[in-house]
Amino acid sequence: MQIRLDPWPVDTLDGQLTLKPFAGLVYDAETPRWAAVAQKPVPESLKRVLTIDGKPRMEARLLVDDDGKLSVAGFGAYVVGAVDLCPHGTRQAELLNVEAKRILAYSDEAEGRMPISRFSPRNPHTGALEYQPHSFAGSQLEGPKSAVQRLMLAGEQTLAAQLASALPLDETDVNALADTLVLQDGPVRIGTAGSAVVGCVKTLHTDYLGADRIGLLSELKPGERTPILRFAVGDNGLTQAQHREQRFTWYVRLSEAPFYQHPLAGVMRLEMHAPEDTDFVPRAVQDIANLSGSLLCRLASQPHKDARAPQNLIPTAALEQAMGRAMGSLDLVTRRIRSHLVRELGVVA
Amino acid sequence: MVLGTEDATPTIFWFSVSPGASVQLDDLVVVQTMKPNGQPVDFYGLVDNVRKRHEGVTFESDVEDIVAGVLPASVSYAARVLVTRVSPEDFIPPQPGDIVQHARGKALEMALSADKMKEAAFPAGLLADGQILPLNFRFINGESGGHINISGISGVATKTTYALFLLHSIFRSGVMDKVALKKNGRQAGSAGGKAIIFNVKGEDLLFLDKPNNEVVEKETEARAAKGLSADRYSLLGLPMSPFRDVQFLAPPRAGAVGAAIVPHVDQRAEGVTPFVFTLREFCQRRMLPYVFSDAGSSLNLGFVIGNIEEKLARLSADSTGAALLVSDWDPAQSEEIPDDIQFDALGKVSLHTFGQLISYLEYKLIDQNDGEGDPKWVLKQSPGTLRAFIRRLRGVQKHLTPLVRGDLTNQQAEKFRPNLISGGYQLSVVDIHNLSGPAQMFVVGVMLRDLFEYKEKNGRQDTVFVVLDELNKYAPRDDSSPIKDVLLDIAERGRSLGIILIGAQQTASEVERRIVSNAAIRVVGRLDLAEAERPEYRFLPQSFRARAGILQPGTMLVSQPDIPNPVLINYPFPAWATRSDEVDEHAGREVAEVGADWLD
Repeated sequence: MQIRLDPWPVDTLDGQLTLKPFAGLVYDAETPRWAAVAQKPVPESLKRVLTIDGKPRMEARLLVDDDGKLSVAGFGAYVVGAVDLCPHGTRQAELLNVEAKRILAYSDEAEGRMPISRFSPRNPHTGALEYQPHSFAGSQLEGPKSAVQRLMLAGEQTLAAQLASALPLDETDVNALADTLVLQDGPVRIGTAGSAVVGCVKTLHTDYLGADRIGLLSELKPGERTPILRFAVGDNGLTQAQHREQRFTWYVRLSEAPFYQHPLAGVMRLEMHAPEDTDFVPRAVQDIANLSGSLLCRLASQPHKDARAPQNLIPTAALEQAMGRAMGSLDLVTRRIRSHLVRELGVVA
Repeated sequence: MVLGTEDATPTIFWFSVSPGASVQLDDLVVVQTMKPNGQPVDFYGLVDNVRKRHEGVTFESDVEDIVAGVLPASVSYAARVLVTRVSPEDFIPPQPGDIVQHARGKALEMALSADKMKEAAFPAGLLADGQILPLNFRFINGESGGHINISGISGVATKTTYALFLLHSIFRSGVMDKVALKKNGRQAGSAGGKAIIFNVKGEDLLFLDKPNNEVVEKETEARAAKGLSADRYSLLGLPMSPFRDVQFLAPPRAGAVGAAIVPHVDQRAEGVTPFVFTLREFCQRRMLPYVFSDAGSSLNLGFVIGNIEEKLARLSADSTGAALLVSDWDPAQSEEIPDDIQFDALGKVSLHTFGQLISYLEYKLIDQNDGEGDPKWVLKQSPGTLRAFIRRLRGVQKHLTPLVRGDLTNQQAEKFRPNLISGGYQLSVVDIHNLSGPAQMFVVGVMLRDLFEYKEKNGRQDTVFVVLDELNKYAPRDDSSPIKDVLLDIAERGRSLGIILIGAQQTASEVERRIVSNAAIRVVGRLDLAEAERPEYRFLPQSFRARAGILQPGTMLVSQPDIPNPVLINYPFPAWATRSDEVDEHAGREVAEVGADWLD
C-alpha cells in the first residue's frame, strides 16, 4: 500500500488525489520520443514577463419582488491586474492596473422596471455611481455571481491580449520569440490566440498522458519539461475534433516533491494556443517551452510562504493580495450598501 | 500626507513621504487641517523618526524576491512628527491625508516660535537643512528666564566651544542692543554685557582674541559637506572673527616671598595678567570659608570657621597695606616658629604669607596659654575640632600660598587684584587649570561671591555671563560647600541681578538639581546612554535620548522654553584659536601684506 499526502490545501476542490483521463486524442507535436527536456536559460531578447490574474467577489445580494415576481440582483466587484517584471531581474516588479470595478448585476427581466440607479451607492466624495449596472439574461439565482465572473474573465482576456506581444506561428522564424510574455492564471482563453500568452494550470485534474506516460512527470527534475503535446479543447472522443480550438501543452516541474507528497506535487501544466490543422510546433512556442522551466523555477514560491507553493507563483500571490486590498474590506462595503439602502428605501418616495 | 494607519494626535503623528521627496530627522514641517467650520489649523513640528519598509509583504525574506524583481512591492517611507506648535491653539488632530510640507520662511518662524521672540531672537546654530535656529534672549538675560546648562561627555561634546559660540553670538549679533532699545535703554546693550570664563582645562581658552588659522578651511569643508549656500558664519549673520576686548587672568607661579609675580601659564607669553589676593583682603573680605570645600560636613567645624572668619575680619580692620598686623602673637610660645617673621615699629607681628597666617591661627587656637588657646578664639570648642581646622588649613597651604600674599606693595596689590567688572574688558578669562582642586574652588568661590555682592549693590543693568565648566565639581548634588551656596544664589537669584550662569558638566545627574532646573536653556551634546536615561534628561523625548549617544562634535540638542521639543543644531568651527598652534599670526592676511606692514 502507498500512502501520499495531497499537496493542495483542503479547500482546493478535488485536489490532486485522482486524475480524470482525457477522453479525446492527444498528439505528439514536438517529438515522438517521450523523455524529459532540459531547461534552457531565458534569452536576453525576452524583456518583460507579465503575470495576469483576476479576482471576483460578491458583496451583497438583492431580491427584487416586482408584484409577486421575484428576481435577483447582486452587488459584486472584480479586479483584473498584472505584475510587470523583468525575467532577468534588472528592475523591480511592479503592479499594473490593479483597480477594483464594481458591478450591480441584475436580471434583464427586471430591465426598465427596476430603479437601478437608486440601488447603486454613490461615492460620497465624487458623487459618482460606484456600482456600474449590468444586466444578465435569465433570472437564475447564480446569475449575478456568474455575471461578475464573466466580466472578470473578459477583463483578464482583454488585458492579456493588450499586453502580450504578437507571436508568429511559423515553424522556422529564428527571431520569433516575443519580447513580452504573458503568464495567465488557468488555461488560455479564447481570443488570445496569436499572442504570447501562456496559461498556467496549477491543479491537475485531467490526465492527458495516459498510464504509460504519466510516470515521466514524477521523474522530472526541477526545471525540466515534457515534450510538447497537442490536443483539441473539449474533445470527448465521441464527435469529430475538427474546428475545435487547438492547444499546445507541456508539463514543467518547479520543485522536488517531498517523499510523503503526491508524486505530481510541484508539477505545472502549461498551455498555449495552437494554430489549427498544423502538425508542427512553431519555433516561438518551442522557445517559450524551453525557457519556461528556468522562468517558472525563478518565480516559484516556497511552501512556508504560500500553501499553494510552488505552483502559485510569487508575483501571482502578490497580485492576489493586492487585488483583495483594492476591493476593500468586505465588512465596510456591505455596511455602506446597507446604509445606502436604508437611506434610499426607508423614505417612501 | 498624514498617515491614517498610525494614530494622528495633536502632539504626534506620522506622515508618508511622496516618491522623490526626502525627509531627515530634525526637519521642520507644517501641516494644515480644516475644522468642520472651515477654519484652518496649522500644526508645526519636528521630524523625530523616519523609517522605510516594504509595504504589503509578510515575510522578511521577501526582500530578496523584491530585489530580484520577482515580487512587486512598494517602499513605504514615513516620518514621525513631534508637534512643536499648534496655531490657533485648537488641539484637534490633523486629518489623515492632510498634506505635510517642509516649513520654510514664515512657517519656519512659526515652527520655531521666532515670531514670539521678535527682536530678542539671536542665532544659536544651524538646523539640519541650513536654516537658523533662533534663541530667545529674554530667556537668557533674566527677563523671562535665565541661565544656560550644557551637558555632554568631555571631549566629544565640546561644551565649552558651544558656550563660547553662544557668547560670540550674543555679543556680536546685536541682540543685546536690540533688546535694550526696545526697553528704551533701561537694559544695557552689548557695551554693558560682560562675560567671565573660568578656564579649567589646559590653556585652551588663552587665545580667544587670536584668529584661528583653520577656520576658513574647516568652514569651506563644512559648507561643501552640507551643501550650504555660504559659510556658516555668514548664514548665521555673525562675523568670522575672534573675541574682542579680552583680558586673561592667571594665578602667579609659586615663588619665594617677595619674588616677582609672573602668571603661571606655559603657552602664552604676553597679555596674561597674574592675579593675587592680599592677605589683608583675605581676612577683610572673609575668604576663609572658601578654603574649606567640605565645611558643611561637620557642624562644629563650620562654627569654628565662622568664628575665625569674624576674628580675622576684625583684625584686618586695624591694618593697612597687604600684610596683616597682629599684636598678640608671641612666636616663642609656638611649637614651630616661622623663620621669616617680621616685626613692625610698634612691635606688632606682620604676617606676610599664608603660612604665617596659619601659624598665627595655630598659636591662637592651640599653643597659647600652654596649650589652652585664646579662650575668645577657641570658644570652648574641643581641641580635636581645632586641630582638624588647622590640619585642613595646612593641607591647602601649599596651594594657596602663591594666591594669598602679604608681601605686596599697595601698587602691586592694586595692579594684580582681579578686576572682572569695572575694567574695559568684555570678556575675562580666568585661567585656573594650573591650580590644584582646593585652590580652584577658592578662586571660583571668591570671585563669584565678589561678583554677586557687586551686582547686589549695582543692580542688573549690565548683564554678566559666567561660564563655568564642571559644575558637578563646584555644586555637587550631595555635598554642600560655600561655593555651592554662591552658585545656588546665582542660579536662583542671579537672573534678577543680571548674572547669568552658563554652566556645563558631563553629567547633569550629579549636579545640584536646583541649579540645573533653573536653567531656561538646556543644551545636550553627546551623552553616555545610561546617563541619558536619568530623570534630568526627561526634557528630551525618547528618540532624542537615544540619539544623544551618537551626536558628533559640533552638534547639539538645544531645548528652550518657546519650543516644547529640543532641536538639533550644528554650529560653526571656532573663529578664535583654542590652542597656540591654531593661532593665525597673520590674522587672515597674506604673508606679503604682513611683511609690507613691517617694512613701512
